[in-house]
Order: sequence, then C-alpha cells, then structure tokens
Amino acid sequence: MSEQVCRECHRIINGQTCPICGSSNLSADWSGMVIIIDPERSEIAKKMDVKVADKYALKVR
Amino acid sequence: MGVIMTTESAIFVVKTTANQERSVANMITLSARKEHLDLRAILAPDELKGYVLIEAVSPGDVEQAIQTVPHARALVKGQSSIEEISHFLTPKPTVTGISEGAIIEITSGPFKGEKARVKRVDEGHEEITVELFDAVVPIPITIRGDTVRVLRKDEEGNV
Repeated sequence: MSEQVCRECHRIINGQTCPICGSSNLSADWSGMVIIIDPERSEIAKKMDVKVADKYALKVR
Repeated sequence: MGVIMTTESAIFVVKTTANQERSVANMITLSARKEHLDLRAILAPDELKGYVLIEAVSPGDVEQAIQTVPHARALVKGQSSIEEISHFLTPKPTVTGISEGAIIEITSGPFKGEKARVKRVDEGHEEITVELFDAVVPIPITIRGDTVRVLRKDEEGNV
C-alpha cells in the first residue's frame, strides 16, 4: 500500500487514520520527505515546529 | 543558562542513486538508530534529485551510517548550514509565477504539448484554469500547476 500523509500534522503513515492526531483526512499527493530522528536537538525540527520523531512530508496537496 | 549545551549541528550531503532518495533516507534512519549515531534529521526534498541532506554533528557519523545502505553513493565533501537549506522546508506553491493571461505549455496528461492561455489561478488548490489555443470551441480546463511550463507571462492581445 502506498504511503499517505495526514493533512493535519503532515505525518507519513501507512494506515487509514493518523495514529497521533486521529484524523482520517489523508492525502496520497505529497512531496518531499523529512525524517526527524532527534527532535530535541534538531534545528530542522525546530524550524518545522516538530516535537515528535517521525517521518513527515514537506508538502501535502 | 542550560546545563548541557548541545553541539551545533550542520548539514551534510549524501549522493544517492536517482529516485532512491526516500529509500536511502529510510535506511539511513534505521542504520543510525541501530548504531546509535548522532544524526538528528534527514531531508529528501523532491527538488533535489540524487541527494539527501542529513543534519548531524560530525561527518564521521554520516559516513558510518551510509556504509551499509544500498544506493547511498558517497558523502559530499564539506558541509552546509541550516540557513542554506531552510528554503526546502517551506516549499512555494507550484502556481507561483503563473499569472492570468500568461501563455503556458502543458507538460503532462492528455493535453501534453498543447499551448494554452491562463484564465484563472487558484493558489489554494494549486490549480490553474486554462483555455487551449487549438480547441475549436474555447473550453476551460482546470489542471495542476506543476504540470505546466510558462512560455510567456501576461500576454496582452494576440489571440
């Protein structure tokens, strides 16, 4: 199954609903991927305002 | 101030096989977790084909992380700063630079290769409504903003 992205939190997920925000507002049309490994020390995570280590999409349509 | 100051991180660039950027990013993440390397984030923007960007402290950690990863070719010499790559984090809408009245060429889909005039630009949905030049009856069609190439901006007259 193709990976989908939660439109609310931009997380890349595999299921039908976002496990974190519970939203089922998903999109398969996304581009750019960011993987945050260490959200506390990452500058990229700070810029994106991400607090949880996960995979995120840069852009969701 | 803080008890422990975190070391400043930098951006390192890894060359990958084209179209394997996402799988390389995933594999590097797994490898970094397994070997407890100090990698902080991995960025694979679609605009940057054949490369992934890694936020880390030392190039040694990056070098170690990519050792076992297939399709990760080499670590590019030198390093970059967060400021230099921050534009990747806030992508511009694809319709930026397309204005009403512009002449565009459609680059994919059933109307590939057709030239058309832009009638409306929808920034929110990143769509544009165009009228094909070659159509006998002008039918407005709505297409995605990333499937066009701008030939001429703001053309007046000359129908």
